[in-house]
Amino acid sequence: MARIELKDVSHSFEIAEGKEKLEWAVKDMNIAWEDGTANALLGPSGCGKTTMLNIISGLLTPSEGKIYIDGKDVTELSPQERHIAQVFQFPVIYDSMNVYNNLAFPLVNANFPKSKIKAKVEKVAEILGLVDCLDFPSSKLNSAEKQKVSLGRGIVRDDTVGILLDEPLTVIDPKMRGELRRQLKIVQKELNITAIYVTHDQHEALTFAEKVAIVKDGRLVQVGSPHDLYNDSASVFVGYFIGSPGMNILDGKLNESTLNLNGFNIELSKDFRKKIKSKIGEYQLGIRPEAIITSREKTTGTIPFEVAIVENMGSYKILTLIKNNKGDRNLRIKSRIDIHMSVSKGETVYLKFPEEDIKIFKDNHRIY
Amino acid sequence: MSIRIKNVNKSFGKHLVLDNISLEFKDGDFVSFLAPTGSGKTTLLRVIAGLEKPDKGQGRVFYDDVDVTNISVRERNIAMVYQDFINYPSMTVYENIASPLKVSKNKMSAKEIDKKVREVAELLSLSDMLKHYPSETSGGQQQRIAISRALVKDTKYIFLDEPLANLDYKLREELRGQLKETFSYNKKGIIIYATADPLDALILSSHVGFLHHGKILQYDILDKIYNYPQYIEVASYFSNPTMNFLEVNLVKENNDYFLKVTEEIKIKVDNKLKDKLNKKEYLLGIRAQVISPYRQTKNDIIIKGIIELVEVVGSDTELHFRYEDFHLLSLSQKIENYQIGNTIDIFVDPSKFYIFDKDTKRLVCRMEGEK
Repeated sequence: MARIELKDVSHSFEIAEGKEKLEWAVKDMNIAWEDGTANALLGPSGCGKTTMLNIISGLLTPSEGKIYIDGKDVTELSPQERHIAQVFQFPVIYDSMNVYNNLAFPLVNANFPKSKIKAKVEKVAEILGLVDCLDFPSSKLNSAEKQKVSLGRGIVRDDTVGILLDEPLTVIDPKMRGELRRQLKIVQKELNITAIYVTHDQHEALTFAEKVAIVKDGRLVQVGSPHDLYNDSASVFVGYFIGSPGMNILDGKLNESTLNLNGFNIELSKDFRKKIKSKIGEYQLGIRPEAIITSREKTTGTIPFEVAIVENMGSYKILTLIKNNKGDRNLRIKSRIDIHMSVSKGETVYLKFPEEDIKIFKDNHRIY
Repeated sequence: MSIRIKNVNKSFGKHLVLDNISLEFKDGDFVSFLAPTGSGKTTLLRVIAGLEKPDKGQGRVFYDDVDVTNISVRERNIAMVYQDFINYPSMTVYENIASPLKVSKNKMSAKEIDKKVREVAELLSLSDMLKHYPSETSGGQQQRIAISRALVKDTKYIFLDEPLANLDYKLREELRGQLKETFSYNKKGIIIYATADPLDALILSSHVGFLHHGKILQYDILDKIYNYPQYIEVASYFSNPTMNFLEVNLVKENNDYFLKVTEEIKIKVDNKLKDKLNKKEYLLGIRAQVISPYRQTKNDIIIKGIIELVEVVGSDTELHFRYEDFHLLSLSQKIENYQIGNTIDIFVDPSKFYIFDKDTKRLVCRMEGEK
């Protein structure tokens, strides 16, 4: 098991083409994944996360920078020499073999003695809950079981130092995804193996990982625990991307004590203004749907909004609210309300934005 | 207007996929067929739409009381949206949305077509994308184009086969809300929606049918099926996240009856409830929402849970914990930061329990009774 580190890693596919002005698929990556931790690389498609994955596994040598495993420079080593297992979107297994032989395959190839192979395969099958289907032909397995066999083949060797999971739940039935994801996490904990889970799906990243790295346009945007990313979103992008629904972001102009939000105003306290250290200028206000206080009663300082959509989520309701701005584009925000509060489309509700939950961004970056 | 199906069977080879299904839908219904993959929901949708024929025999499909069983899908004037985003790659978004109007029997003028296309594009936030080609748009936009083509058509029957399944979490969340808004603008017609995602069914539907091995296990209005799931299978699947189940015994101590979970947890059974319980063993169903790290009511049961797994889901946290021999799931409506292995107090609201018969798997009653 191991600590995996990228140091000053950049990659451009255009260097090989000899172009002068380069587009960087990955730029200035500095990140370390500690021994035995569950991690995620999260970003929209095309953000460079697959390039990072290939750089870690050794399928791609970066244009610049180094990769270290436990402090040892492995930049020039082949994938085989790095001993990092990989699980792909589609299960990679031999349909013609039974489960046992699939799991044993990497060990047979490495000429392990039969008794050792048997002990190892049985242990892995036990961890993955595949004991009862060791004799099954692989073609008879469902997609989740197949994916477990793929993973099993990756972790069956003792010299595996880490595991890369590349969108491993893509072909799994939605209801089974949660179960398989939990099993992956339990296996990761049990083996105390360094795991990096690559996905564009925030749900999968946040449920799997204790540390999530958000990647956008080939750069690290923010790295942190799900809790940190949610509470201390460093940018508008992270604020929206983390949390469901994401953070509401409203453009505003600060004028002394008043934040003018294109249709309504919020008065800011002296304290708050001191903290953001500014008197006038253009800002973005961020507030999470669950922080907004929604009421049917009008009280001082509340702002009326019209209910456009009510979504019952089982534990609470999510309201999509509209403020009609004559001429201008309508303002839309979301708020979370108690499941027992009854509101319908077309009604007016009154919102309060508690000051302690307000985040302030400038040019998409959090300043308070 | 209505759709009615009667005694529909459908087999592929020897495999019976739909087993004697009869249902009726009315104007304004948004019907979800909810089931895991392989339960027959897509086949049922396709049989109703006319893309598949029921097995020969007594199976019948009626639109507005007219038997359409043998009428081809082309003549039924329906719209269908598939799981894969199916668009014409060589046409712009505008041309894609306009295409059903151009082939329609009721010839429309170019001006009328333009008006309709722009209306629908506005509804699905595609107005800025009209000149682009589908390949230049995101997955969510591609599916919105496909949905626009269904909406632009002047039809009363719209069928959607897992339209959000291929989208990632964030896009699914956005488009689900948009579908809700779109369909609430126009309540006319019948919409049938096949899905494996309980949240889709919960947010979008007026009625839900739960399929199990090719049979409709329960069909009800949304509120009824969600709050009174008649079978363990329905309760377990139509919960988000999944429901906890605990084996309990009905015991008598002194002169009182209790449902005994452990020595520590015995839930008193009042006389009214006792009348419904005449067996020894039951299964308690408890939704994760009523198991919480925070107090919910003054009657909460408090237990010590050892945290086994912490999963941040959207803006909530699913806490998997162990209590004695039980592995339980609690849902906290916050982002939590618990350490695995720690012991914490967990609060359970017993009034929200479901009691199921262990043998028949049917709902006996809810703890707090009928509302």
